[in-house]
Amino acid sequence: MTDFLQNCIDGVMFGSGYALLALGFTLVFGVMKRLNLSFGPSIMLGAYAGTWVYLNFSQNVLLVVLVTVMITVAVGIYVERLCFWAVRRDATIASMVSSFVIWMQLEEVAMHLLPERTYPFPAFFTSTVIDIGPFFVRSEHISMFLLTLVLLALLHLFLFRTRPGLAVRAVSDNPLASRYMGINSSNVLFLAFAVVSVLGGLAGFLILSADSQVTPFFGLWATFKGLIAMMLGGMGSLPGAILGGLLLGVVEANAFWYGGPVVRDISAYLLLFMMLIVRPGGLVGQRIVAQQQAAYERV
Amino acid sequence: MLKVDNIVTRYGTIEALKGLSLEACEGQVTCLLGPNGAGKTTTLFTIAGILNSHSGSITLEKDNLTNLSAPGIVRKGVALVPENRLIFPQMSVEENLIAGAFARPRKDQPAINADLKGIYERFPPLKERSTQSGGTLSGGEQQMLAIGRALMARPKILMMDEPSLGLAPIIVEKIFDIISLLNKEGVSILLVEQNARMALKVAHHIYLLEGGKVTFNGSPQEMQQDEVIQRAYLGAGST
Repeated sequence: MTDFLQNCIDGVMFGSGYALLALGFTLVFGVMKRLNLSFGPSIMLGAYAGTWVYLNFSQNVLLVVLVTVMITVAVGIYVERLCFWAVRRDATIASMVSSFVIWMQLEEVAMHLLPERTYPFPAFFTSTVIDIGPFFVRSEHISMFLLTLVLLALLHLFLFRTRPGLAVRAVSDNPLASRYMGINSSNVLFLAFAVVSVLGGLAGFLILSADSQVTPFFGLWATFKGLIAMMLGGMGSLPGAILGGLLLGVVEANAFWYGGPVVRDISAYLLLFMMLIVRPGGLVGQRIVAQQQAAYERV
Repeated sequence: MLKVDNIVTRYGTIEALKGLSLEACEGQVTCLLGPNGAGKTTTLFTIAGILNSHSGSITLEKDNLTNLSAPGIVRKGVALVPENRLIFPQMSVEENLIAGAFARPRKDQPAINADLKGIYERFPPLKERSTQSGGTLSGGEQQMLAIGRALMARPKILMMDEPSLGLAPIIVEKIFDIISLLNKEGVSILLVEQNARMALKVAHHIYLLEGGKVTFNGSPQEMQQDEVIQRAYLGAGST
């Protein structure tokens, strides 16, 4: 039983990283109703830039964080302008396909920047183990969890207490009505991408510093985890993204403990499969999807 | 006050507005009537900047609105209450109203707060439901919300696209009472309607749109005296 609870604690901590990734996908999906498939690789490029700085320039970890986030934002804006802003409003599939294509391009760029299969990634402090009663937690996991809580609070403040945040929610809710109110949805999309890239860059830093290394598979990995977590929680729901991330973390932690690394990897897909059958709207999605349908039919 | 001069608006190669001219005078209710597909909503969209006109001009007092962006036009004082209301279903009533003031500059915040209070006084049901999400409101309440939201932009002229659409007759009467009251308080209104009977009760000036062109331009009394129009839009022998 202790093992199970220990795994749950680990899972919730690591799942907070998944939650941030899922939030990135969900926010952008909410605003433009399309998936940005270049999100994972944009974070990877940011992390690669951070690693490059770490190896060739300065060992200052704060600088690495800054570079990671800034490059993620720059790549995010590149993707937004090219794949979503430049593509016609009604060409939904075309924009998602072009984000997929840019994913390939970003991975190529990353592999040319740092050709080795793995590179060290710095952390703020060396990993220590903290004892809490019968359980133990790793310092990098608890810092990831706490930082995620802070980021979530900031995101909530932004969305619900600021004017630009109101604009983001308005465009997510009814893009046509927003246009009539004079809200520029192109600016809102740009802002959403910038915010999401900051979240992603920070999530990437936290996840990679917990792992102490970065590999060229990170882009794909982050995309899968983020999308799965988002779908587990319910597409388009922000609380769902958070819950989905935590659920994924807990299930994977237990799968790893009782089954090993291969079982852990398969468990994510199995979990998604079961969720799609049993509750396709996701953890929170089902009720919200039904509410949204009812609301839209009246408007 | 609002002058539309000979605008041509196209959807691809189809000309929806074929050289349309109208004028909405300050303090009046100007009504655009016409059958489906005549171009009434297209006219409002062109004025609001949602659609770009191919030629012609639109001026509001001394400002040239032609081909300005939608946010720019809201800032110049033209607010639209869209067809089917189009409120934000997941945002609360209060957030819907605040969104209406989005185009106003940040330093206007005290005036925006004062306007919000004014909307609540004018529409008490909105005050009761200020934290409820928009999608849970009834049709008539949503129409009130849509009107209130447009008024939050402190427009010089309020454009309304078929406010009676989809509402029960008793609610339609209430909404037209609101329109009449707003106008008495000095709000200039450009009204697009298919419900000619209700529109004639509140309008000062009527334009009849058919096939993208104005075919009648006059007072409600003149319209009621014209037999052809009577038969086509008001039903024979109606008052």
